[in-house]
Amino acid sequence: MFKTMVKKEILGNILSFRFVVTLTLLLVVVPVTTFVLTSDYLKKVSDASLRRAETETYLRSYGHFNRIGNIIQAQMPPIPSETLVRGLSADVNLSEFDDDPLPVMFPLVDLVFVVTILMSLIALIFAYDSVSGEKEDGTLKLMLANGLARPQVILAKIAGGGLTLLVPYVMSLVVGLVVILVHPGVGWSSADWGALGLITVGTVLYVLLFYALGVFISARHQASSASIMTSLLAWVVLVLVVPSLSPYIASFLSPTPSRIQVEREVNRLGDTERDDLGRKLEAERMRDVLAKYPILAEKMSEADRKRLIERDPAAREAFEARRKAVQGAWDEANRIQGEKMTAVRNAAAKKEQAQTRLARTISMVSPLAVFTYLATDLTSTGMKNAEYFGRLSGVWGQAFSDYEQKKIAELQAKDPATDWWNTAVDMSDRPRFEYREEALGARVQAALPGFVLLLGYGLVFFVLAYVSFLRYDIR
Amino acid sequence: MTGTIVRKEIMANLLSYKFYVVILLAAVLVGTSLFIATRDYKDRLADYSLIRPKPGEPIAVNPPNPLAIFAKGLDESMARSFEISSIGITVRAGQKSANAVFAFFPTPDFLYVARVVVSLVALLFGFDQVSREKEGGTLRLMLANPASRGSVLLGKWLGNFASLTVPFLLVSALGVAVLALDPAIRFSADQALRLAIILALTLVYIAFFLSLGILVSALTRRASSSLVILLFVWALLVFVLPNLGTLAARQLVEVPSVRALSEKRQQVWTREVLLRIRGEGDWASHIKAISAENDALEADYRVKFDRLVALSKNINRVSPVASFVYAATEIAGTGIGEEGAFKREIVRYKNGIIDRMLASPDAKAADAPAFRYAYRPLDRVLASGALFDIGWLAACGILFFALSYVAFVRYDVR
Repeated sequence: MFKTMVKKEILGNILSFRFVVTLTLLLVVVPVTTFVLTSDYLKKVSDASLRRAETETYLRSYGHFNRIGNIIQAQMPPIPSETLVRGLSADVNLSEFDDDPLPVMFPLVDLVFVVTILMSLIALIFAYDSVSGEKEDGTLKLMLANGLARPQVILAKIAGGGLTLLVPYVMSLVVGLVVILVHPGVGWSSADWGALGLITVGTVLYVLLFYALGVFISARHQASSASIMTSLLAWVVLVLVVPSLSPYIASFLSPTPSRIQVEREVNRLGDTERDDLGRKLEAERMRDVLAKYPILAEKMSEADRKRLIERDPAAREAFEARRKAVQGAWDEANRIQGEKMTAVRNAAAKKEQAQTRLARTISMVSPLAVFTYLATDLTSTGMKNAEYFGRLSGVWGQAFSDYEQKKIAELQAKDPATDWWNTAVDMSDRPRFEYREEALGARVQAALPGFVLLLGYGLVFFVLAYVSFLRYDIR
Repeated sequence: MTGTIVRKEIMANLLSYKFYVVILLAAVLVGTSLFIATRDYKDRLADYSLIRPKPGEPIAVNPPNPLAIFAKGLDESMARSFEISSIGITVRAGQKSANAVFAFFPTPDFLYVARVVVSLVALLFGFDQVSREKEGGTLRLMLANPASRGSVLLGKWLGNFASLTVPFLLVSALGVAVLALDPAIRFSADQALRLAIILALTLVYIAFFLSLGILVSALTRRASSSLVILLFVWALLVFVLPNLGTLAARQLVEVPSVRALSEKRQQVWTREVLLRIRGEGDWASHIKAISAENDALEADYRVKFDRLVALSKNINRVSPVASFVYAATEIAGTGIGEEGAFKREIVRYKNGIIDRMLASPDAKAADAPAFRYAYRPLDRVLASGALFDIGWLAACGILFFALSYVAFVRYDVR
């Protein structure tokens, strides 16, 4: 009997007008989206290689260690899964003069958008009259006049309905994948396929969750015209409102200091305050040195001093002591101020992390946010990847600075008097930053709580639907 | 007769479950979004008072725009600090860049609530205007009276428009009143006028979706199929078309990537510094070279980017929702056009500072004039696109209403 019920649900849905509309919509939107995202990805790839070439050309003529950090930076390359999921890869870029404001006005469309916004809306459109509509038509009475338990009916409704919804989704996704794969130049690795498989599992959970929510709301209403209103209300709140509000709520609950202010404070510590401290320390140490070597207090011209140093070992010692004192004072000042700068930066970063965590937690009230994090983390376009990228670039930064030290030592060995800071050097043998996506296992680990949460929400809505249906007046 | 139908529609709405759910939702959302956006604005204002340059510092910072409470648009980008020095412009971003969650979801400003939620609400009022009355059998009865179909349709439109807009305007007016009482937020007369235009524009937007709803309702036999069609059309108009259009335009117009540009800029100034240290050329010529090359980059980018913006705007205008967003943000002074004008102003300010530097190398940088950005006047904003967008939105609304008249005249009321 259960099988018959599921079959009835599936047939009822497939033959309905909304199924045709859903199928058409998805078959248009998903392939168009993948087509546009794929060409965008290929464009990014060619742009990245052009930029690399340009940097190399520049370094061949003007590669010097002073300000090299402005020229060589660790960069996130375009990755193949961007053909489906964009995540945080949009070129908004608020920290440079050139920014691209278009994605701020209209966020990008990608697979995550299709699932989170369209599929959830479609699930509710299919589910809103599953109980109240059958009551209105009078078929619910007839159905339950058979030897059918109510739990079976509700389970069959959710299973059958949810499954029919996935058919148009999977069909459109297959067409979308064909669009991606016929593009030469997009190489999906097995990890990318694995990630897509897991995202599909997440999609199933997400769609079933909204279908269960729709059935629950339907079972709370006697009229289907009322249940669609409540469904849309719930949808607007869960999908459109909660995620958008969450970072703002978090920023009120856990404020962070202004970034500009922090940067200015850091600059002040490293610049004027360091100079003051350095001068003070220098004066202190010089007092001792002067007491020991009175010769230093004498006024003499540069040439006289040179002659004196050459002639007199005691004078040489005195000047050496002075040089050491000055050097030591400034090193000390740099160290102290450096620690202060790190402390200010760390304190700010800690607050920012706390706020981000809080925002993420609040937003997870909404299944949309849960799915978004899950999908972006699985495809290396999310927050987990941003962290991972930070670690990788840290490692590379250390390697590069070791390389820099080595090169400078070589330059000094050749000619001690050289201005190694501003001499053009051949840097073709430098360590290059190479980004490799995090292993799928680690990504899955990050996404696991999302799966559990989606399943949990789904179960809650299912139980609510079940209980409401048990108490439903079918007359 | 139309008056009677208007009254009937308003009464029917007032007694319906839908009305309360929907109006409550819209009211709560408008209220919440204004509250959130106000706090956000005040935070940014506090930020501004901290980072605001001292007299004579060559730093350009534009205070946050109070109209961003209603339409945030690109205000975040315009309220950054632009520090001018001999090597170019150093930009420091505000708060939001720290918290990645901001980047995932759209900003919940008034414009977002209007764009997404209020449009949905308008559709929910329109979707069953004809088909439900047919299903209920009241359409026959109504038309058995000496009432022309045109007056019935007009009455329905007016009645629903009134029951939608009156609560919406009341909530908005309440929000604006609360804002006006807040001493920290001051609207100039010009800004108040702009705000009034934005609210009026929102009414045009509501009218557009109501007409669309009635049109589909007059084209379908059953209210449930009308709703299904409308929800799909709505998702297409509000989400899919404008967002996809931007990406599609990008495929058609070659624009250098933001990263490529900023890398170029870094290369320009580090190269000049190196050449200077090597002793090639004098200080002034290097500064001139950096400034000129940066300006050339910017000018080239501007031309291409403006072409991209024009194309993507035109593609997106297929959906009048995009027109609504463009018009509202431009009028608020947070739109793409305003940002472009602001950037040009920054470049001009930078060139002024560089010229002073070159004219008197010994003068301290601390004599720099203060930066003040004057927003483009309203008539120029309207002339450069906003008026077209408003007209297009209104024209689509009128067209849909006319079409629904045609469909209703041919409707089989049995």
